[in-house]
Amino acid sequence: MRLWTFLRDREWSTLAGYALFVALMTAGYYYNITFVQLGLIDLGTRLVGLPETTVSLWMGVLALCTFAAAVATGVAMDRRGWSTNLRTKLRLLLAVVCVQFVLTVVAPHVRTAPGFGAWILAGSAALGVGFPVSFALAIDTIPVPDRGYVAAAITAITYGLANAIPLDWNVVVFSQLMTVAMAPGIVVLGVLASGRVDAVERVLDDLEAQQDAFGRGRFNHPDPVRTRSLAFVAPLVLMFGVFFVDSLGFLRIIETPTLLLTSWQSPQLSTRLLIAGAHVVGAAAAGVLYVNFSRNAVFLWIFALFALSHVLYTTELRLAAVFPTTAGTPSLLNPLLYAVAVSFYTTMNFALWPDLATVDTIGTHSALGIGLAGWVATFASTAVALYLAHAEVTLLTHLNLVNALALLLLFGLAVGAYAKRMHAIARSKRGPRDADRVPEDSAGSAAEGER
Amino acid sequence: MSVTDVLPLLVVVLLLIGASGADPDAMHVVFEGARDADAVVAGGATDPIVVAGGTVTVPANATVGSPVYVIGGTAVVEGTVDAEVTVLAGNLSVLDDAAITGDLRSFGGTTTVAARASVPRRTTVDVAPRERTLAERLGFLAMQALALAALAFLLARRAPDALATVGDAMTGHALVSGVVGALAGVTLLVGFVAMAFTVVLVPVSVLGVVGELLVLLYALAAAGARLGRALPIDRPDVAAAAGAALLVVALDLLDAIPVVGALATLTVVSVGFGAVLVTYFGWQAFEPADIPG
Repeated sequence: MRLWTFLRDREWSTLAGYALFVALMTAGYYYNITFVQLGLIDLGTRLVGLPETTVSLWMGVLALCTFAAAVATGVAMDRRGWSTNLRTKLRLLLAVVCVQFVLTVVAPHVRTAPGFGAWILAGSAALGVGFPVSFALAIDTIPVPDRGYVAAAITAITYGLANAIPLDWNVVVFSQLMTVAMAPGIVVLGVLASGRVDAVERVLDDLEAQQDAFGRGRFNHPDPVRTRSLAFVAPLVLMFGVFFVDSLGFLRIIETPTLLLTSWQSPQLSTRLLIAGAHVVGAAAAGVLYVNFSRNAVFLWIFALFALSHVLYTTELRLAAVFPTTAGTPSLLNPLLYAVAVSFYTTMNFALWPDLATVDTIGTHSALGIGLAGWVATFASTAVALYLAHAEVTLLTHLNLVNALALLLLFGLAVGAYAKRMHAIARSKRGPRDADRVPEDSAGSAAEGER
Repeated sequence: MSVTDVLPLLVVVLLLIGASGADPDAMHVVFEGARDADAVVAGGATDPIVVAGGTVTVPANATVGSPVYVIGGTAVVEGTVDAEVTVLAGNLSVLDDAAITGDLRSFGGTTTVAARASVPRRTTVDVAPRERTLAERLGFLAMQALALAALAFLLARRAPDALATVGDAMTGHALVSGVVGALAGVTLLVGFVAMAFTVVLVPVSVLGVVGELLVLLYALAAAGARLGRALPIDRPDVAAAAGAALLVVALDLLDAIPVVGALATLTVVSVGFGAVLVTYFGWQAFEPADIPG
């Protein structure tokens, strides 16, 4: 881990970069998984009084608008050179956090459907600008070999806090907490973006100078990954699958009081702490695996963990159908395994997009990656979940479907990786002349063994 | 009580019922509440009764022809059970003037039989580990050390390179090996237990657990061999055997320290298990992914 070298050499600017990136990403992700994903549903259903279906549709609108805003921002960042200008990124981020602060303060006071819709549109614009900008900070702050560990730290801290701190899933509670947490963040970002503090300016100069060393992601060797290449599209599709599987299953789980109140919303602190611990352990394990194994190996683990946790959920539901008196006391093992799976893919998500980009593509690739895989997958899974709810599909059938999807992706990836390896071997047997005719993407894949 | 808490015992009961020739589908499982046994099985049927929670009573003057399995909760016999009674966990009380005409077998839990109860055939199998004497403990430890030493000796003669490769992964890539070992060990175990719940896959589940144990043995032998390389012994096979014996003794000594002992064992097991997996049983040295930068 390069961090130890920087610590030994007392490279304070670089260390400050680590801290800045982890703090910003942790804060942003915590805001996303609490206020945005849970608080807005509470706002729409309880305070505004909209039906759950309508709120879900608005959440879909949020996902699509966020994606659109992110792509526009990401492309603009790369074309206008904002991606490589640290101060511009910090100023953009300051603007985003200021807007989010106002929106967070205002949210609990929204009482009408048009107001809720307007909040969603403004919120999605802020989110859409915010995440490509914050991911683009990786090229200034985090050395490539450490990205897996840093991603693990972000995931562990975020999910550890989110589960260990017993908060009601209530927009008022979230709003109060976020307001208090964001205020000092705005001050810090304001100082960083002001350009008036000499010591800060020196640190920013040092960080920006690191782009040469940190700017080329792990999977961009020997050639940079192009946006329209298989090297980018394949992980994008896999990540879409991961987000879709998680979201589709979780949407139904949190609508089932028996499952929710004995796990993520348990009144027992020990239960929540166990789940928090599982998230931390899962993130640490994912960090180690990401750094030491190929990307596909980590994807295989993710799908296997999701498949296994859904096998356990469905097995328990089947047994509860046979022995109805046990239905009220689900096992804690299932959410624990689920938490590990979630931490795995979240860690992967934080490390993958900067590693698939260079200083020239970090904006676009982050926007497309998080936007398509994260937000659009959430939109799609929400739509499917609504359809399944409308069709009155049972919990068991629903989770069975999710399980089937996870298994399909698991075996699809295994077969795909095997076929790719076979293709590479066959090509190497054919000799250099034939190999020259192989498209560039595939040649790059074989060279690195990752793509 | 969670269904997964009693499920392993329920699987055992299913196997016992299947082995006795009865139909497992016909069994009645009680998880909570207070019930009379003759109300659980209607009309004098002989369907098996499984007590997993709550209290099931065979009332005085009543005769139940069903075999009774106790895996949790409490079973109280005041009348007559004209079949076998098996206690795996939970409590069984056979009161005065009550009778069990079949075998009463107790493998765990608490069984209380009153003085004036009629239980002609009673078997108690003590599955709980009893306290060993010092001599017994030392003998058992020596036996374990010898067995692992013999395995390490054999492997060091037959496949020295593989053993060395696994050992090198344990020391050179301990963190990766530990993570892979812990993750694979836990998920495989959970997977095999989930398979056992299906009953149909019980043989696969048993095979899987046996396979996991064999991998673990191989890992411990490799760890011992690695330890043996640090000993001042020239012959590699003898060094491997000595290292393996030393490992067993060291782990046993560490086990005397609370928490530390368990953590040390868990770490060695995880790192060893992972090292075997990441090196493909020692066929290929582990190389971490190459990350430029």
